[in-house]
Amino acid sequence: MSEHTGAYDNTDATTTSASTDASLESRAKTPQRGPKRWLWVIIAAIVVIGIVIALAITGRKGSDTNTASTNNADSTVTIGLKLAPTNLDIRNTAGSAIDQILIGNVYEGLVARDENNQVVPAIAKSWEHSADGLTYTFHLNENMTFSNGDKLTAEDVAWSINQLIKNQYHDADSLNMVKSVAADDDANTVTITLNTANSNLLWTLTGRPGLVFDKDAKYDAKTEAIGSGPYTVAKFVANDSITLKANANYWGSHKAKTATIIVRYLADDNAAVNALKSGDVQVLAPITENLAEPFTADSAHYTVKAGDDTDKYVLAFNNAGEKTSDKRVRQAIRYAINHKELIASRGGSDKALGGPIPSLDPGYEDLTNLYPYDLDKAKALMAQAGYSEDKPLQLSLTYANIYGTELGDQLRSQLQKIGIDLKVNVVEFSTWLQDVYTNKDYDLSLVDHNESHDFYQWADPTYYYGYDNKDVQDLYAKAIAATSDEERDQLLAQAAKVVSEDAPADWLFNYRVTTAWVKGVNGFPVNLNQTLLPLYNVTYTKQ
Amino acid sequence: MSNMTETSNTTDTTTTLTERNERKNELPRNAAEVTTTATRRRKPLIVVRSMWSHTEGRFALIVMAVWLAVSLISLIWTPYSLLATDGYHVWAKPSAAHILGTDGTGADVLSWLMAGSRTNLLIVILTIACAAAFGLLLVAAMVSRHSALAGASVVAVDALISIPTVLLALILAVPLGASIMVIVVACGFGYGLNLARVARPQALLAARSAYVEAALWSGASSLRVFVGHVLPNIMPVMLVQLSLSAGTAVLAESGLTYLGIGVPSGVPSWGHSLATSVKFINVYPLTVLWPGLIVTVVVIALNLLGDALGDAADPLANTQLRVVSKRAGTNPAGDKGSAA
Amino acid sequence: MRFVIRRLALFAVALFGISLVVFVALRILPGDVASIMAGLNSPPERVAALREQLGLNRSLPAQYADWVSALCHGDFGTSVLTGRSVGAQVGARAQVTFPLITLGLLIAMALGIPLGCAAALARKPAVRAAFHVVAIIGGSVPALWGGLLMILLFSRGSGLIAVFPSQGFPQAGWSDPGAAMMSLILPACTVGIIVGAGLMRYTRAALAQTAQSDAVAMAMACGMTRTQAILRVGLRLATAQLVSVIGLTFAEMITGVMVIENLFALPGIGAGLITDVGNRDLIAVQSELFMLAAFFLAIGLIVDLLHRVLDPRLQSAGDNAEVNA
Repeated sequence: MSEHTGAYDNTDATTTSASTDASLESRAKTPQRGPKRWLWVIIAAIVVIGIVIALAITGRKGSDTNTASTNNADSTVTIGLKLAPTNLDIRNTAGSAIDQILIGNVYEGLVARDENNQVVPAIAKSWEHSADGLTYTFHLNENMTFSNGDKLTAEDVAWSINQLIKNQYHDADSLNMVKSVAADDDANTVTITLNTANSNLLWTLTGRPGLVFDKDAKYDAKTEAIGSGPYTVAKFVANDSITLKANANYWGSHKAKTATIIVRYLADDNAAVNALKSGDVQVLAPITENLAEPFTADSAHYTVKAGDDTDKYVLAFNNAGEKTSDKRVRQAIRYAINHKELIASRGGSDKALGGPIPSLDPGYEDLTNLYPYDLDKAKALMAQAGYSEDKPLQLSLTYANIYGTELGDQLRSQLQKIGIDLKVNVVEFSTWLQDVYTNKDYDLSLVDHNESHDFYQWADPTYYYGYDNKDVQDLYAKAIAATSDEERDQLLAQAAKVVSEDAPADWLFNYRVTTAWVKGVNGFPVNLNQTLLPLYNVTYTKQ
Repeated sequence: MSNMTETSNTTDTTTTLTERNERKNELPRNAAEVTTTATRRRKPLIVVRSMWSHTEGRFALIVMAVWLAVSLISLIWTPYSLLATDGYHVWAKPSAAHILGTDGTGADVLSWLMAGSRTNLLIVILTIACAAAFGLLLVAAMVSRHSALAGASVVAVDALISIPTVLLALILAVPLGASIMVIVVACGFGYGLNLARVARPQALLAARSAYVEAALWSGASSLRVFVGHVLPNIMPVMLVQLSLSAGTAVLAESGLTYLGIGVPSGVPSWGHSLATSVKFINVYPLTVLWPGLIVTVVVIALNLLGDALGDAADPLANTQLRVVSKRAGTNPAGDKGSAA
Repeated sequence: MRFVIRRLALFAVALFGISLVVFVALRILPGDVASIMAGLNSPPERVAALREQLGLNRSLPAQYADWVSALCHGDFGTSVLTGRSVGAQVGARAQVTFPLITLGLLIAMALGIPLGCAAALARKPAVRAAFHVVAIIGGSVPALWGGLLMILLFSRGSGLIAVFPSQGFPQAGWSDPGAAMMSLILPACTVGIIVGAGLMRYTRAALAQTAQSDAVAMAMACGMTRTQAILRVGLRLATAQLVSVIGLTFAEMITGVMVIENLFALPGIGAGLITDVGNRDLIAVQSELFMLAAFFLAIGLIVDLLHRVLDPRLQSAGDNAEVNA
């Protein structure tokens, strides 16, 4: 303390020794006006803050009564989702977030799919195909309208698909085999003719390629959407929210049961959980399973359910890569990964997956016994390949930051046991797209491939996996050309088994989306709800 | 004209003059060198001792010592290996096996925090070095007598300071990926600019003072003038600013790592521990407590350290230092003390 | 006056320099908006077609010239992804960020300046130490952690005292001013406390410095008490320094606020910028960066000029420099 006093002694000394010259005195007094002004500023600041807080508190009362009244009316349901669409341009912009919110709600396809991933009628009430599988005829519903009042005719259907092919909109390549699309307005039918038979055609048409747009409507597709579905987009705020209003001109049987649905995009898991807890949203999909515990425990007020989905967490090995082209290394990694532990750490509701086809897709077969967790086998394979714990294999794992850091850390820890020194690079999605997906510059990569019917990835050697197996390609080609579903499923199952045995990747698990909602919400889809979320049935009665 | 600056300028000039005279005339060459080295050796000791005598200084020194010790220990030992994950026991509550519980991969939180301390230590040291070097360079340019250089550097500082550290880090993270270098370069750059800007008014006053004119007239080089006159004047500001920067660097580490552009995944750091537990704060609030608490305590200590250092190393405030200086013949503030 | 003109000229040059730096720096980023729009499972031809359609194939100088000439006309371009004008987009985000920063700064000033004065005036070592410790603790809390504590303490949903909405900004925005303000209170308090602690230190330091000046000594010699002298004379002398610090703080808060915006899920400028960089929406990012930089350049300019006006010492020193030059 002595030093301090020393310092102030010093000050005091200067003070006392200061002169009392009269002129200096007057100088010292002049700045008196200054400090007062400063004090005023401070006082003003405090007053402003006081007012702001007062305003806020009174404002809050107002807002509370507001929400209460809307809730009682049951005319609004607020839903919390995670991944936000950056725009609404479903023909140009990729991303399942757009499919999720628009397909079945705002836009309708020629056909649709149900919660078990099966094709069901939509714009077309029925269809048939020729024996050779080259001609499909769709019979359309009558008296269909778009939300702007325009009639929806066979002309619109054919135009939409032809535009897609002509302008090469998103997913146009999945209709490569289409020869022509023709409308017959009198018969109210649309005929699609193919160059080669394609068993995936109907399913493909449930997605973006089958959507029907209004030929005569002019609107900014990035911020607006005009379709024939039960809802219209009333307001869209990029990366934040979408407000859906019931479509007054809706023609079909999926009439909206709730007048207004507000979808909020809550990228932050905590914010999402708090929003559900505080009643800002009534449904949350997905909710991180580890975060759902309080809701699971409070079953009197909340329902928590996991639904089936086609999300495959694919740990891809660069099959053309320098180190991972060695099959023994790839097999060793598959033996070394403890899938049960990974699933347990995530809460336990995800499903083990041993191959490229998940249970909701055609050709599914349980392949988890092909590569059971077996460290000894893994070590032996690594030794054959020339690596050991003393002479570890250096590999890098590159994945997008949206999947969190935990999986990378866990894989690093598990692979270290068999002599793999894994360097984990968590990068932005755009960087991943550039480095891994486009330039194929990687050892290991982790992606949630949430698409359905995506086996073609394994039959395309130019895909970023770099997996090239003629047998698989042949089997897949046959499966696509198959004219019956049974034949297709059997061929796909065969191909999937070959793929899994080759170990071009490891399938960490089949992610099952957990959804939570407050008591009183009904009709919210649980299965597949990250890509397909029909909302017409959703209602909310405040309890 | 402020009398503060004027006085310190006077003392500085007299100090250098006395020193020079003594070396030249009064004492034999060897003897002079012996005393100055002795002073140099004893000065840090005295500074540390006088810091120790304050409660605040003592707290800061203890935290620094513990930080250093834990960093060293973590190099050879942590309760669990960093790679020991256990998917069946994630987010475990504190127990005998895991004193601070486990994280989302089932890894031991304490081990990760221990190992994290060395990463943070490294980041702070590198950042401060970067900031000090860059900041002094800028100050020198800004008070330079070449008006074009001075003008350009002032504008450059004003322009560059408008780029927030996070933005710079965002851009740096593109070629570098998430990396420690992102934090060091972005923060070193930003804090250097801040340092320059905060120190500029004082440096300018010193550089334009009559004493500097006199020194230049007597043929001193501009480097000598900068080191001899400007630097001592901005030293107290600089010490405080750098200590604040050290603290801010620790804070920035946690922020940038949370945004995904700081410490890469897999590398232990306090920010990493904080960021991974943030997502689960609703369900496991306890886990987020520890890294936040450690960061707070360390940053407090760094700030107190700066203050204590400022007080203890300032001859105006530290009487003990004055005594030693006097005895050794280098007398920075003695004149003022005796005059008072 | 010459100084002001020269300063303005340099301001313009700096703006130009920044536009160039921002433009070039962003072209180094790997990945582009076309591949993001095309997404997974699109053939390379589709990416190429999109690139063509979006005008990403034109030469860089042409792109730069287009951008700058549009900027000169006050047109910040149109975001490729959202299809909205960047100006409108930033405007919408600024409606979150600026109230947040302003509220935060007001809280900071209301806390920092009076406490700083009190700290400088306190004579008892114990009291001084207490003030000091308060300031340091306040400034040492990581923004992220401080925000989390706020959420744990005061938020509806998970807080102990459930008063404020925890995260997010109301759907209606400022058309529901009460709710909007409520959603800003927790983040603004977090920012305000942290910044206020820093401000308190600066205020105390600046006052302590001026307390040793002749002016204060004279004031005391003329019969003012120490308190009076410091508040009336010292504070006036410290004003210049404080204004600089507050100006700089305002700039720095964009940085601090980015983490807070992310944590509290507020659709502000910082959070938006991170999203745009992630999406490689370069037209939006470059204009946003430019706007930010220009804004802060202006703040720097104003702070510098104010500093000169408020500090007579520097004014004369500056004049000397001018004369020397």
